[in-house]
Amino acid sequence: MGRAIVITSGKGGVGKTTTTANLGAALAQLGHSVVLVDADIGLRNLDVVMGLENRIVYHVVDAIRGKCSLQKALIKDRRMDNLWLLPASQTDDKDAVTPDEMRSLIFELKTTYDFVLIDCPAGIEQGFKNAIAGADEAVVVATPEVSSIRDADRVVGLLAAADIPSRLIVNRISAHLVKRGDMLSQADVIEILALEMLGAIPLDDQVIATTNKGIPAVLENKCVAAKEFIRIAKKLAGQEVEDEPIGFFTRIGRALGLSATPA
Amino acid sequence: MWNGIKNLIAGKSTSSVAKGRLHLVLAHDRSGLEGGRLQEMRAEIAAVIAKYVPIDAAAVEIQIETRSRQTQLTVSSAIQPRNV
Repeated sequence: MGRAIVITSGKGGVGKTTTTANLGAALAQLGHSVVLVDADIGLRNLDVVMGLENRIVYHVVDAIRGKCSLQKALIKDRRMDNLWLLPASQTDDKDAVTPDEMRSLIFELKTTYDFVLIDCPAGIEQGFKNAIAGADEAVVVATPEVSSIRDADRVVGLLAAADIPSRLIVNRISAHLVKRGDMLSQADVIEILALEMLGAIPLDDQVIATTNKGIPAVLENKCVAAKEFIRIAKKLAGQEVEDEPIGFFTRIGRALGLSATPA
Repeated sequence: MWNGIKNLIAGKSTSSVAKGRLHLVLAHDRSGLEGGRLQEMRAEIAAVIAKYVPIDAAAVEIQIETRSRQTQLTVSSAIQPRNV
C-alpha cells in the first residue's frame, strides 16, 4: 500500500504546484511509482507545470462520476514510465466532489502507486477539505514571509485536527536577503511554526525557466533548487540524507552555542 | 558580519521584526482572541488585581505568546510600595 501525501499551504502562489511536480518527478527518478493528483478543481495547473496539458482527455471528476475508468483519466509522463498525472477538471466547481469520494479515489490509487502526491488548492474551504480527505501525511509549503507563515500555521492546525501529521518545506529562500537581515531564515521559520523541516528550497531562476517549458527542474538540470528537491524526495522516501553542508563560521558559532541548530 | 554590525547600529533587522510580529499574531490566531479583546481583558484583570493590592492599573501588561506550539498568556504587574 502506497502513501498519500498532500502538498498544501493555505496561501496561494507559494509554490505548491511546482513542489508537487518536482517532488513527484524526483521520487519517480528514485525508482518509485508516483501519481500526481491535481485537487484544484476549476483552476487546474499541475498539467501545464508538468507539460502534459495537451494530453488530457478525461479528468478526476470524470473518474469519480464514472464517466470513464480511473485508468483512462490517468496520463503517463512521456519522460518516465513510473510517473502519472490525474488532472483536475477545469470546468467543474470545487464542490463537484465530496471528501468521501476523494478518500476512496486516493485509497484506490494507493493500491497501485508507491506515492500519491495531492496538489491542494489555496484556501481552507471545500477544495482543501477534499484534498486532505485521503491524505496520510502533509507537506506544508511556506515562503519566508509573514502572510505565508501565518496561513501555514492555520493549515497545520487544521491538519492536526484531522489527524494528519505535517512537515515543512520553506520555499524561495534568498541567502542574500537572509544575510542582510531582510528575510526570515529557515531556522526562524522552524522556530515560529515548530514543525519538522523537510528542507529549504533556495530562490532559483532556473525553476522559473524550466517551468516555462513545462519541465520539472529536477528533470532538466542540477540547479540548486533541483538538488534540494531531490534531497527532500529522498527524505520523503525514508532514505538517509546528509544535512546541508555546514559552513566554517557556522560550525564555530555552534560550537560556541551561538546559533540555534535547526531540528 | 558587516550586516550584523549595521543592524546593531540601525536597530532591529526587518527579519527579526517579522519574527516578533509572527510570534504575536500566531498566538492570537491560535487562541482565537483578537488584539482588541485582549486589551479589554487586560483592563478587567487590572481592575480585579487593584481590588487586592495597590497597583498602577495602567501599567499592567498582558502578553500572549507562542513557543513550540504552546500558547501562553502572561499578565504582569508591578505592586506599588505601601506608604506607611
